[in-house]
Amino acid sequence: MSVQAFPQTARLPAIHFGRGLAAKFGVVLLAIILLALFSSVEMGVFWGLGMVFGFILQRSRLCFASAFRDMFLMHEGRNMKAILAGIAVATAGFALLMQKAVPDPAAGAFPDQAHVVPTGLYLVVGGVLFGIGMVVAGGCVSGSMYRVGEGYVASAVALLGVLVGLEAAAHTWNWWFQFNISTSPIVWLPNGLGYGGALLLTGVLLLAAYLGLTWWESGRPPMIAFKKKAEDEPVTFQAKIAQSYRRIFVKGWPMLAGAVALGMLNILAFTYEHPLGVTGELATWADRGAKLMALGAPKLLGVDRLAGCNLAMDGTAPWLNHNFALDTGIIFGAFFAAVLASEFKVRFAPHPRRYVQSIGGGVLMGYGAGLAVGCTIGAFFSAIPSLGLNGWVFGLSLLAGAFAGVKIIQRIA
Amino acid sequence: MLDVRGEICPYPMMKAVEALKKLTPGEDTLEVLTDHAPALTTIPWEAAKMGFEADIDEVGSPEWRITLRRSEAPQDPKAVMARLQEKLAAVQA
Repeated sequence: MSVQAFPQTARLPAIHFGRGLAAKFGVVLLAIILLALFSSVEMGVFWGLGMVFGFILQRSRLCFASAFRDMFLMHEGRNMKAILAGIAVATAGFALLMQKAVPDPAAGAFPDQAHVVPTGLYLVVGGVLFGIGMVVAGGCVSGSMYRVGEGYVASAVALLGVLVGLEAAAHTWNWWFQFNISTSPIVWLPNGLGYGGALLLTGVLLLAAYLGLTWWESGRPPMIAFKKKAEDEPVTFQAKIAQSYRRIFVKGWPMLAGAVALGMLNILAFTYEHPLGVTGELATWADRGAKLMALGAPKLLGVDRLAGCNLAMDGTAPWLNHNFALDTGIIFGAFFAAVLASEFKVRFAPHPRRYVQSIGGGVLMGYGAGLAVGCTIGAFFSAIPSLGLNGWVFGLSLLAGAFAGVKIIQRIA
Repeated sequence: MLDVRGEICPYPMMKAVEALKKLTPGEDTLEVLTDHAPALTTIPWEAAKMGFEADIDEVGSPEWRITLRRSEAPQDPKAVMARLQEKLAAVQA
């Protein structure tokens, strides 16, 4: 490996972490996990789930923002195709779990923990705003979280914007609820189609999306990911173990592996209580902060009847709840993954305007997620497998927003 | 030398493409310094579409120098990526 000195410019006080430190951090994290497990199994398990979540995102660079964005920016659909596969995996598992909760969907009931919310204009507005915001900020909410773990300061700024946007959404929620949300119908596909019909329709739509992407990409060679390390064929036991280590912790994972792993993680989370969601907990943080400045949101109408990442912001909930463990786990998991792969570095944006861009994109994302009851995870990746029509409507709205977002970033130097 | 360290996604790729477009006919090399790992895929790929051959050197942790050279022959992005992998294999062997 040729290592050549580069003239360091003064503007980038880079901070690096070596592997020795990673080991130390590993011990500290293990201690925290054990402590959490000791105090409550729930906390420990969700902390672990969050860590694996962040680890998967960092290793496979599974980025929902780029999945939508690169279709327009680079005519590339490989990231979105992987996500479709992850959704397909989660759909199968979700159907099994929901069937246990609601054996007879024809009666009109729907599982209260699945991410099924009313389908209406508010969802489209939230999706478009979120789509614009995630492209402008350079990552969606979970994407910004894993980039914070990698050391991107601009992504931390974007998350601050998300908190502001979520609180703004809370302050306008009651208007939206009366104007549109309360009158929009909840469309849970198994109610009309049965589980078989709902699964068939979801499968057909996923396949149609896959074929659409393939058509969109056709005429160009599929992008090949650059792999950091080359492989030697291992012979000895030690070499085989070393190879496995490199494959998991050092080399990037194929996006497909990451997306399928995330789909399975989502099933695992749902077996406990509810599917993966990120922004509901962030909304609680935002409102706690706002209350300190006497800017807390009023009592919100109807949120307790909405599943998923709603703006319930239960002020009485303890700080350390399982969603807190999940969200902080994402950042720590990504940090751990980045350090082990020697990809961690505190990166300051080269221009102050990039921070302005990040906070602006973050506010749009936060507002969109607050309004649409979730982000790319809760309202899309967890909603389509919940067999609600809302997941598809939100996804299409994200697509429209991402298109607009690409036009915007192409005009920002 | 184009320094895109610290830039958020997808600016490393966009800035590199912009800089390639601005090269005068006399200039046939552009060096891009990046700390954004996904750019190791996207920059050589997009550059190949514009007729540039790519080379990657790890110059820090995590920092890479991507050297883009104008080529007479049209560049197949797939072939460019394959050559990059081969080079890395040789360096490590």
